Amino acid sequence: MAKRKNKKRITKDKKSVKRKQRKNKMPRKKKSKRIKVVRKKNKMKPSTKSKRKNLKAKKVLHKGPVLAGETSLRPRYVLNHDFEFFYELRDLILKSSPAENDGMVQKINKIGRVKLAIISGVFMNKENMDSLVPDLLIVGDDIDRRKFRSFLKSLEAEVGKEIRFAVMDKEEFKYRLAMFDRFIRVLLEGPHEKLINKLGL
Amino acid sequence: MSKNSLELIFESKARLKILKFLFRNIESDFDAREMADRIQEDPRFVKGEIKKFVGIGLLKVKK
Repeated sequence: MAKRKNKKRITKDKKSVKRKQRKNKMPRKKKSKRIKVVRKKNKMKPSTKSKRKNLKAKKVLHKGPVLAGETSLRPRYVLNHDFEFFYELRDLILKSSPAENDGMVQKINKIGRVKLAIISGVFMNKENMDSLVPDLLIVGDDIDRRKFRSFLKSLEAEVGKEIRFAVMDKEEFKYRLAMFDRFIRVLLEGPHEKLINKLGL
Repeated sequence: MSKNSLELIFESKARLKILKFLFRNIESDFDAREMADRIQEDPRFVKGEIKKFVGIGLLKVKK
């Protein structure tokens, strides 16, 4: 039936069809039929490629919002402050040393010729004392950046928090120390621990 | 006090890591994959632990 209808339409010439379209302002559903008719007239077939493209586009359209939903739908968890032992557990966990010092010293020694390693801030269990104070200061030469980065990542994994750090060579540190640089002064005056100290500080 | 006493009490280093991570980022919320990535542990293990914590009410799903 549908085919017959199409054939009938094909017999009409292009102009009359167009006029009709403009006049009637056909509803959308019929629009697709019209397009097919025009194509047949011009002896054009919708190529399989374009068909595939359309299909793909449809799939993507369909998939898009679902994917976006998936990422936002993945459940996000947060600590429940109403938990029975919440505060007791918090105190217990936060009292634990963030990282083992001995293990850290060994790892720090592997990343280069480290002359001085100071921990402060998060390692002293005093968080956000001063935004200026780094959690980790490393002074040394020939520091392997790649090794340092992997060390930092594992350390952050162990501590459970991002670590603010500073790395400088011996010359820079001595210069900063001599000119009473605020960055160094605040660190050395606050609570800190020297893991490695080959500078006789 | 031996250094890994807490690890022993909590049965595993990974579980302690999760707790440390949670309590040091007390106000933030995470999904399981993110957490596993940050503490560098097996995502499947982390998921399992999260399930347990949700079960006992220590964690809740953020809406």
